[in-house]
Amino acid sequence: MRQEPTLSWMVKCACVAAALLLACGLATARFGSALQQPAVTTRDGSLVTLNRYVREPTPDIVLVGSSVTWRLKEEYFSLPGVRNLALAGGSPVTGLEIVAGQASLPKVVLIETNILSREADRALTEAFSGGARADALLLRPVRTAVAAYETWNHAARDAVQARAGHDRLLSQPPDTFDNKIYLDRAREQMNDGDPTAPARANVVRIRGLIDDLQRRGAKVFLMHVPFAPEIEDTRLVRTTREIASEAFPDRALWLRVEPPMGELRWADGVHLDERSALIVVRAMESMLAARDGTRR
Amino acid sequence: MTFTSYQFGVFVAVVFGAYYLPPLRRFQVQLLVAASVFFYGFGQPELLPLLLVAVLGTHICLVLAFENRTVWMPAGIVFNLGLLAFFKYKLLFVDAGAAALTGVAPLDFLLRLPLPIGISFFVFHNISLLVDLTREKRTVPLRDVFLYIIFFPQLVSGPITRAAQFMPQIVPKRINDVAFVEAAKWILVGYFFKLYVANNLNEMTSYMDFPLYETLRTQDRWLLVFLYSYQIYADFFGYSAIALGLGLLFGYRLPVNFNLPYISTSFSEFWTRWHISLSTWLRTYLYIPLGGNRHGVGRTYLNLMIVMTLGGLWHGASLSYALWGMAHGLLLVIERPFLKLIGNQSPAVRVIRMGIVFFCVTLLWIFFKLPNFDHALGYLQGMFIATDAPNPPKLFTNLALLYALPVIIQHIGIGALVDGRLRRWEPYLYGALGALAYLEAGPDSAFIYFQF
Repeated sequence: MRQEPTLSWMVKCACVAAALLLACGLATARFGSALQQPAVTTRDGSLVTLNRYVREPTPDIVLVGSSVTWRLKEEYFSLPGVRNLALAGGSPVTGLEIVAGQASLPKVVLIETNILSREADRALTEAFSGGARADALLLRPVRTAVAAYETWNHAARDAVQARAGHDRLLSQPPDTFDNKIYLDRAREQMNDGDPTAPARANVVRIRGLIDDLQRRGAKVFLMHVPFAPEIEDTRLVRTTREIASEAFPDRALWLRVEPPMGELRWADGVHLDERSALIVVRAMESMLAARDGTRR
Repeated sequence: MTFTSYQFGVFVAVVFGAYYLPPLRRFQVQLLVAASVFFYGFGQPELLPLLLVAVLGTHICLVLAFENRTVWMPAGIVFNLGLLAFFKYKLLFVDAGAAALTGVAPLDFLLRLPLPIGISFFVFHNISLLVDLTREKRTVPLRDVFLYIIFFPQLVSGPITRAAQFMPQIVPKRINDVAFVEAAKWILVGYFFKLYVANNLNEMTSYMDFPLYETLRTQDRWLLVFLYSYQIYADFFGYSAIALGLGLLFGYRLPVNFNLPYISTSFSEFWTRWHISLSTWLRTYLYIPLGGNRHGVGRTYLNLMIVMTLGGLWHGASLSYALWGMAHGLLLVIERPFLKLIGNQSPAVRVIRMGIVFFCVTLLWIFFKLPNFDHALGYLQGMFIATDAPNPPKLFTNLALLYALPVIIQHIGIGALVDGRLRRWEPYLYGALGALAYLEAGPDSAFIYFQF
């Protein structure tokens, strides 16, 4: 008497669950991850960026680095075909290993050397090695619905509009935000601890990867994104700079990014604000044009 | 081994299969005890001896208390509270990072042991055992004591079952008596609330941690506090629901721990709906022995403050937890004279009262989220002044609403609707919840109450 309704209940429940899973599996197979799902955390954002990198045609220029470079948004560049694989909270080695792990290489690879004290993210490099993608097997219905809404509601600006917006921003004076609290805290953190051992290990790995990329025909440049003078003077930055300069003495390997320092602002003490990031990007583009002959 | 791991699924399937095998029927209690020991030791094998000491120590006190209750019951309670105090509050007095703590090797070893998972819960089980059984003068075999204290669905985070409720249930079980549908409903809804609601909201509320919260805009601080209120409910309700469902699979009915707490119209009602097993325990074993409301208004208020402050400190050794408990005690004291004056009949008044209770309870969760008092205060201050934080994170409010929606829908009363007119759709609804819990699961995160 009791068993039949129980069994019937269980079967109905299981059938609906299986049907929904199947529907989402089929939807993923049919549409893939065409909709960029909202990145709630920086980790989500990294996965979106890396998935797009291995899925789309190889770009001309790739940037790898930490959150310092992550602020140099792709849309700030006037050059087409720029991909920024910098990972907030990550190491440049992670992006570099992923780039080197692909069959096809970009023409130019820019490596940020500001933060070399973090280890590469093995999980990410393994997930994206050899052109593999780390998309979910099954579509996430709620996030996909939100992604569709966001895509519909916030369509990307075209290049002309974006350029005009950036020019408007550059025509404004630098921000007057008082970042002293953040600067002091960042300085304290960056004076704490010795980055020597991890930085030395990372430069050895970077050296090997640069040799590999150059052998395969890519041009590679190292760069230091400007910090606030107080941060440049911290133990972390000074030691890292010394180790990087010692490991890579060839001046031709370095892309000197020299924007007008008086115009730059680091709102949270370490990371460039939007206007400053634009200025740095423009300075990078001029240097690239001079060094590499890359033209708009 | 957490409830959300694949290992746990395999573990439950194996134990369930063996539990109802006819040849093992005589050893059901022993099997559950062995499984619970394995479950506990899987994560912290070095703390198994401590669990053993706690159970055996309580059992010895229990046996002796049958001879002399006046001495041995309090001794057993002190023994258990001593264990709790040692592990929870030792870091107030020693620096765990120091090379030599006391110079006495065995003591240093003990001081360096991590907080045993679930200690707050099994200590309360032990005290309940000592009080209930010695009052009823009912002796029980050691294996039953073990099962009551370490039964794996409730071992880590409750519900805190009273010995008087659990012990009579220790009888041979038959698979035909298992309430499979009810168990499945609890388990599915529990996983749905944990994986879909709590874990996804956790991604957003992680911005409440120090120093990340300093990058938040004022309005986002408010949004996140409310999201955390939904998250902590979904997390703990989810855990309790899974525990209840698992208990049913093995023939044990654990107490319901939550009853739509966010529709409470008073703070005293809130505590009859939130973490019911803890508030029942505190009322039975602390508030009533202190005199309850039998010794005048002033003494009642004092008792309320004592119980709630100790309830706060039970969660951990921090000023934030103590203040959280005191604030709840204060709210109970303040509302008490007005409860009879303000009516509860008009729907408008009820809604306003619900809003006030929910708002206050939600604000106080900040002290839970940020046990460091300075951080909690810093977060609170930022909610009332306009911030000009650089580079604020982008929070998707539509996504937040969709992840918090199940809590809101549940509190609106969808359960009654499903039990009534929509009953025939019930299996399909639970099937959809199960699928959605899997498809839309947020990144794995520990149950919030595991830390207690």
